[in-house]
Amino acid sequence: MISRLRYTFREMWASLSRNLTLTFAAVITSTVSLFLFGMTLLIQEGFDNQLSEWTGGVEMIVYVKHGATPDQITYLEGALLSQTSVVQSAEYCDEACSADLATTLLAGDPGALEQLLPGIPSLFKVTPIDQGSGAVLRSLKAEFESLPNVVDVKTPDEAVETLSQLKSFFGVRTLVMSVVLLLASALLIWNTIRTAMFARRREIEVMKLVGATNWFIRLPFMLEGLLQGIAGATLGSAFLLFVNNDWTKGVRGFPDNSGLAGFVVTDSYPVWVCFAMIVLGALVGAVGSATAASRFLDV
Amino acid sequence: MIKLENVHKIYSTEVTALRDATFEIAKGEFVFLVGPSGSGKSTLLRLMNRQERPERGAVLVAGRNINDMPDAKVPYLRRNLGNIFQDYKLLANKTVFENIAFALEVIGRPRHVIRQQVPAVLDLVGLGGKQERFPHQLSGGEQQRVSIARAFVNRPLILLADEPTGNLDPATGEGIMRLLDRINKTGTTVVMATHDQRIVNMMRKRVIQLDRGTIVRDQARGVYE
Repeated sequence: MISRLRYTFREMWASLSRNLTLTFAAVITSTVSLFLFGMTLLIQEGFDNQLSEWTGGVEMIVYVKHGATPDQITYLEGALLSQTSVVQSAEYCDEACSADLATTLLAGDPGALEQLLPGIPSLFKVTPIDQGSGAVLRSLKAEFESLPNVVDVKTPDEAVETLSQLKSFFGVRTLVMSVVLLLASALLIWNTIRTAMFARRREIEVMKLVGATNWFIRLPFMLEGLLQGIAGATLGSAFLLFVNNDWTKGVRGFPDNSGLAGFVVTDSYPVWVCFAMIVLGALVGAVGSATAASRFLDV
Repeated sequence: MIKLENVHKIYSTEVTALRDATFEIAKGEFVFLVGPSGSGKSTLLRLMNRQERPERGAVLVAGRNINDMPDAKVPYLRRNLGNIFQDYKLLANKTVFENIAFALEVIGRPRHVIRQQVPAVLDLVGLGGKQERFPHQLSGGEQQRVSIARAFVNRPLILLADEPTGNLDPATGEGIMRLLDRINKTGTTVVMATHDQRIVNMMRKRVIQLDRGTIVRDQARGVYE
């Protein structure tokens, strides 16, 4: 077992060092494609964060005075739901829930968040019955503002709609690009392994004739591809974390009314994206090299 | 040890490599396969180590029909067969020791076994002391001895040799034949394809003659005709 492991790692290393240029090209392509894949996920998450108030068909947010009593809140809920021809639901988000939402929306503006949190209002997310009733709902804005304990009523503006459109525009295109690049990196890894095997076809023939199993021959090449995929993914992940960190710092420097304070990803999500990139890189490397390795084993 | 029953091998509609080949080789025999180029000698050897499969008939090695053998089992069959080639098939970037050790390493033999068996087999083929040389530092005869050492290091039951003297001068070729004869005397079955008339006549072993894929002669202690 130990001698097999020693052989596998020794041959993998020898093959990697013999094909330095191709290995470098495969790693760089994997880095770029996996970076783009990770970037797509982060951009989507940024859009989701920026639009987090308005998910699930919400067309109006009614802010309730900080410290409102349960009776006052129940009264307000009743008043909102009494518009039975327009309002489908009025989901209450208490002060803790509202603070979470604000933390997401103002992740890029910690100063504003700090000022807001001590007296943060709770809120109702109002969903209309259908698209048509959304316009009627907006016309009730002034009426809802006059209700007791309501501090503000907000409806989605043009910026929110533009962001929604941008999200679908970028989402699809960057995803397609990253899938195409992932395929390219799988092909490049496949080609690297095929070249390595072609260079060693005589050795492989001898190995087959003295009784080496296909797995014994294939394993160093598969490991080589796996390593290329993981190296590409690790570099891509490091670059992604660097870019995300840089963007977050940049957003904090934007003017207060830029409307982009929520367009950052500051929780553990980027780490999960990096993990997914490494798994994907390993998969692309292993599948690419296993396919290539099988082609030279027919002796 | 080896048995062929009505073996028929076709490479394409125009090329029939073997027609109804039937013969049996007993354990410890030394057999020459003779005939002109294209007569089917190499095909017979390739059928015996499952590099090829016949269209019809059975190839039995140690009592087992290797045509029906699953692909995953073929490596284990080949560990009992040694292969020697006209062009030696040595790995140029490995030393003599490494070339032979490689054959043991790829079938998972531990290091201490390799360190023990490689010098022993090098002594057997008369190359003791040359284990650190690279193939290009050896003569043709010496390279073929390394190839034989690699084939024999795992003590296989059968040695399959395809024109092992084809690239060697007569005197060196005779040395190789003496070595193969010595290996044969240890009980290893040797099947050798050749069209070297002088060597066949010198050895006086069993001769199976092929002509355009058909066995035309099977003679004990035969000569080249």
